[in-house]
Amino acid sequence: MKNFTHLLLKEIKELLNKQLIFSLLFILIIFNFIFNFIGNVTKSEIKKAMSKQKVAVLDLDHSPVSRNLIGALNAANFIIEEKSGDKSKVVDEIRHSSLDLLVVIPEGFGEKATRFQPVEVETYSFLRGVSLAGRSKSEVVKMLLNSTNEYLSNQFLKSKIPDLDPKLLKAPIKNKEYVVVKDKQAEGSSAAVIGAMTAQNFILPVILMMIIMYSAQMVITAIAMEKQNKTLETLLTVPISRTSIVMAKMLAAALVGLISAVIYILGFRKAFIFSEADIGQALSGLAPIMKQLGLTINTQGYILFGISLFLTILCALALATILGVLAEDYRTAQSLSFPLIFLVMIPYFISLFADINSMSLPAKLLVLAIPFSHPFFAMTNIMFGDLNMVYVGIVYNFLFVVVLLSWTTRIFSTDRVLTMKLKWGKKKMVL
Amino acid sequence: MGVVLEVQELKKKYGSLEALRGVSFKVEEGEIFGLIGPNGAGKTTTLRIIATLLTPTDGRVTFMGYDLKKNPEKFREHISYLPEEAGAYRNMKGIDYLNFMARFYARDEAQVKEYVERAERICGLGERLKDKVGTYSKGMTRKLLLARALMTKPALAILDEPTSGLDVINSLEVREMIKGFTKEGVSVLLSSHNMLEVEFLSDRVALIDRGQILDSETPQGLKDKYQASNLEIVFRSAVR
Repeated sequence: MKNFTHLLLKEIKELLNKQLIFSLLFILIIFNFIFNFIGNVTKSEIKKAMSKQKVAVLDLDHSPVSRNLIGALNAANFIIEEKSGDKSKVVDEIRHSSLDLLVVIPEGFGEKATRFQPVEVETYSFLRGVSLAGRSKSEVVKMLLNSTNEYLSNQFLKSKIPDLDPKLLKAPIKNKEYVVVKDKQAEGSSAAVIGAMTAQNFILPVILMMIIMYSAQMVITAIAMEKQNKTLETLLTVPISRTSIVMAKMLAAALVGLISAVIYILGFRKAFIFSEADIGQALSGLAPIMKQLGLTINTQGYILFGISLFLTILCALALATILGVLAEDYRTAQSLSFPLIFLVMIPYFISLFADINSMSLPAKLLVLAIPFSHPFFAMTNIMFGDLNMVYVGIVYNFLFVVVLLSWTTRIFSTDRVLTMKLKWGKKKMVL
Repeated sequence: MGVVLEVQELKKKYGSLEALRGVSFKVEEGEIFGLIGPNGAGKTTTLRIIATLLTPTDGRVTFMGYDLKKNPEKFREHISYLPEEAGAYRNMKGIDYLNFMARFYARDEAQVKEYVERAERICGLGERLKDKVGTYSKGMTRKLLLARALMTKPALAILDEPTSGLDVINSLEVREMIKGFTKEGVSVLLSSHNMLEVEFLSDRVALIDRGQILDSETPQGLKDKYQASNLEIVFRSAVR
């Protein structure tokens, strides 16, 4: 145990070197700064897009109806700047101003509207960039037309059926939505529930991917560096069991990988700032519904998820250790970590963009055959109470870990740790 | 003097290639035993098997009464191996490397201190031990590694090409270090293709070629037997 701790500390020190600390600090500071800046700019753009829209209106009709329409637009959250004169001159004037939208009410608008004939207004959008606020122009035009149509149709209905509320007449059916999850149901929107769940689990795959990838890369590098520095042979002849050597390397890599992943996530957290806000907002309103539907995670759920994650990390470390034995130096170690990264990316993207349960059986089995897949889907399965899938995943990963660890220890206890090479031709040997 | 190490009919195969074809020899307490032979003769494979890095295909190795196959961990407790192309952790200071290695063998902190002080004396690197290993020359690294191998006063030091890649001055210093250390009861099993070096260092020598021991005797005994002036000529005669 004394020698194991001694070796573990050395492994941690070796992995947590100056270069890594520098790059992690760099990521923490620079990424925070960059994403903070991007976040502030995006926030201000969204604020601009969400604020009251300034609209120029050229009323060529000057009828009571057109005046009422302008009043209705004012009431519908638009700031109206009235223009007068020739249309082309007004368009030209606005082209050189900061206004982005012009509504032209043509001559005869009021008369046609009073007689319930088709009428049209002209809207001019002035594009000056492709920002979020600029993209919202078409939405503003739609809102403006809706407000205009709402006003005109309400006026029509009021004049024809004065005793009836026009809103009731236009939408007589009201929808009361219910969401059902297994034997539980709650009043609420399914889209909102799914949205809240997605928002809640948004960052989880990123964290999982980073922890698995970093830990695996760390252990491959640790073994490859022993080979590159020609220290492995000496280490294998000191009085410490081969199992302890393997375990010390794996544990150190897991710890340093975890630290690196946490720092990366802290560095990137500003990138998720809107998601975090959305999650908070979505969850605060939906919490009672989620609870009623049983879509919350209890202590047992967290423990199951923890076990699933722990076994997956062990799988990644054991696989990476075997790949590390194949590596001859740092450079080949980097290349050998690609298959692992690829295997982690598959469940990562599926968990983000697809539902594994809706995939065909062969595709589903193929994805679940990857040991890294299970924690990616465990959280959703736990929330939906599909614990069998989680248990199957845990058992599968446990067996995978047992086989891989015994294989890894065996490699380290035999000649293979020195003679195993990734060669397609004749075996390389040292006499 | 008792026998520390006994190698009997040692065989090693890599696939179809027979690297060792029944190697046998004994190393006695406090002696320097040299394995000499050309590149590819089987010297490194023999040393790696004794150092518990490789498993033999056949044969028996006993060390202080322990069988290699049954008790490899006992071997590791009492031997020290210096591979031909060994290195040290480049990001560690020389002194930290010695401390790190000493802790695997020491019972307590006092013994760690004793081992490290001995290593400091052996390598003679002085203040440079406070520098990182990555800044050392090849000669300095080799001296550090040799000090690491000898600091615990192992029952058997296995040295593979101890002066490999060193210049004349460094080679002489390393040879003096090895020679001086056997006076303290350490047995040394070394290999080299430099037969003059082995002749200078070894009490007894085994000539190895194509995985077989051709002959084994004191250097003088071999020279007398083959009527040769040095071991190079002895080896040439033995190969014929």
